[in-house]
Amino acid sequence: MPHFLIQFAQQHEEFRLPELEALATIEDVEIIYNPEDYSLESPFLIVEIESEEKAARLLKRAILIKTIIELWGKGSSWDDLADKVKQHPERWPQYMDVSFKFSVVCFGGTIEMKDKPAIINRFAFTGFRGKIMLKNPDVEFLLIADCGLDPDNLIPHTFYMGKLIGHGKRDLIDMFNVKKRKYIGNTTMDAELSLIMANQALCVPGKLVYDPFVGTGSFLMTCAHFGAMTVGSDIDGRQIRGKGKTSIRSNAQQYNVEGRVMDALVFDVCHSPWRNIKSGIFDAIVTDPPYGVRAGAKTLGRKDPLKQATEPKMLEDGEYSHTKTDYIPPTKPYEMSEVVADLLMFAVKNLVVGGRLVYWLPTVTEEYSIDDLPTHPSMELIANCEQSFGQWSRRLITMEKVAEWDGKETLGPPTGEMSRSKTSSTNSIGHFGFRDKYFAFGNLESSRRKKILKELYDKGGREAVRAYMKSEGEKKRQEAAATSTANVDAK
Amino acid sequence: MLQCHVKGCNANNFPLELQEVVLEEQEAELNEDFLRNMLGKLEYEALVATCLKLNIQDLPPTIPEDAAYNDDFLQKLHHALLETHVITGKMVCPNCQHTYVIRDGIPNMLLAEHEV
Repeated sequence: MPHFLIQFAQQHEEFRLPELEALATIEDVEIIYNPEDYSLESPFLIVEIESEEKAARLLKRAILIKTIIELWGKGSSWDDLADKVKQHPERWPQYMDVSFKFSVVCFGGTIEMKDKPAIINRFAFTGFRGKIMLKNPDVEFLLIADCGLDPDNLIPHTFYMGKLIGHGKRDLIDMFNVKKRKYIGNTTMDAELSLIMANQALCVPGKLVYDPFVGTGSFLMTCAHFGAMTVGSDIDGRQIRGKGKTSIRSNAQQYNVEGRVMDALVFDVCHSPWRNIKSGIFDAIVTDPPYGVRAGAKTLGRKDPLKQATEPKMLEDGEYSHTKTDYIPPTKPYEMSEVVADLLMFAVKNLVVGGRLVYWLPTVTEEYSIDDLPTHPSMELIANCEQSFGQWSRRLITMEKVAEWDGKETLGPPTGEMSRSKTSSTNSIGHFGFRDKYFAFGNLESSRRKKILKELYDKGGREAVRAYMKSEGEKKRQEAAATSTANVDAK
Repeated sequence: MLQCHVKGCNANNFPLELQEVVLEEQEAELNEDFLRNMLGKLEYEALVATCLKLNIQDLPPTIPEDAAYNDDFLQKLHHALLETHVITGKMVCPNCQHTYVIRDGIPNMLLAEHEV
């Protein structure tokens, strides 16, 4: 099979291969590559794909692929590359008389404009007679020099040449940019990750996708953009209804997916009213469960089970309290590990076979181990990608339902032993008590910070402290940008 | 698609009966793949009964054998499922009489304290 060179975006590195695999599944394209060729530190990967047309199909909705070229040669220098390209003159004739252009690009370094013509002229041996057109040529050839990620190394070590197949759909990131979105909340997921999740969930026209913690509906928008029908629910109706004229519905209008964002309902996913259909209702479940940091997870009930009413309460005016239009039932905190276990079990019961569950799992980096992931015999782990924020990270988990649920089988380890009561074994799970641990970092930080500031002041006085604060502020801003959550208060 | 989920209300809890509804029609693009996908998931008789209550009378009483490729039928199903929106109203459980209120097109399916 012909060889192609994929150039990925050099970010969200852990998500790139899983997305590529998902795209190949969606478009039914067979791709072969050597996993050893792939490195998180490089944007390049050589793959074998049956045809040019199939390679182009991978790009239709790719978020983490920048470019694919049909690879004509790979070398250790421009001369070596030219020699490699010369070995296959049979590739040239079909481009002999069409308009074309050559582009020179460099990864991890720069090639000056004035040096580019000389590089291009090294490839004059192809003898193309067509017109050179810098705008909209019939075919574009790419000359790529790779310096690698090391900022101190500006000398290219690998060179590629090939015919451009096309670019990914990274412009969608801008289209779904939360800054331009009319209705957002403080837990709105950033555009790029929402789009990647829609790919992981294999959203295509005709499928039904559900988000049980819908919030402001980020995932409904991206999944609907790729053609799926979407529905969401949340225990808190305020986010669904929105503010004034902005709501999930107005966002759907903004992205022109109104007909595919069907409904948003208010209920607690622990007490879900979905009718049980044996073969499953949903083709995918895409969600970001509340971690308890920005938005606290809640479930129906009272903290103290003894206080929970078992009979309806009659008010003085002779009506039952729960029949009032403004009745809001009491809720209690919902521990992260329970949320995740319930979510997985919900997926087991309500996904169709072949359907996917795509969700975020926050973990404390030091305590995380792969065994922390709740498992179920009907669900197969497809991908587990980490987005790190230092001491904590979140993982995008993709699972696929591979077998019908027999109606009995419960969650496997580690959650198999996890009863609702807190046993010692649950305490060791990387996302157990996530909220408390997250806030504990803050306390630790502040005591450490006080110590650092004191030392700085003793040594360098005010100036030193000011310089430190400035650099810390910069770091914080970067981290905030990474979490990419809009700082608009939802409430 | 929804059933009553009050604790202990396990029989005769579907379909929820719509009452005092205000409907709105919104044109939507016909999505045949989706309708085919839903055919196996719908409780068709319940859908027809519900539609009759809402004065949508064009759905045939039984599902046609060639439903998946019957354009006329799919168009009608599309209209009932995707173009008809209940803006306000109530959904009442035929068994325990629990009333779920629909406001601004958003059904409130939360249970009361004593029902979980």
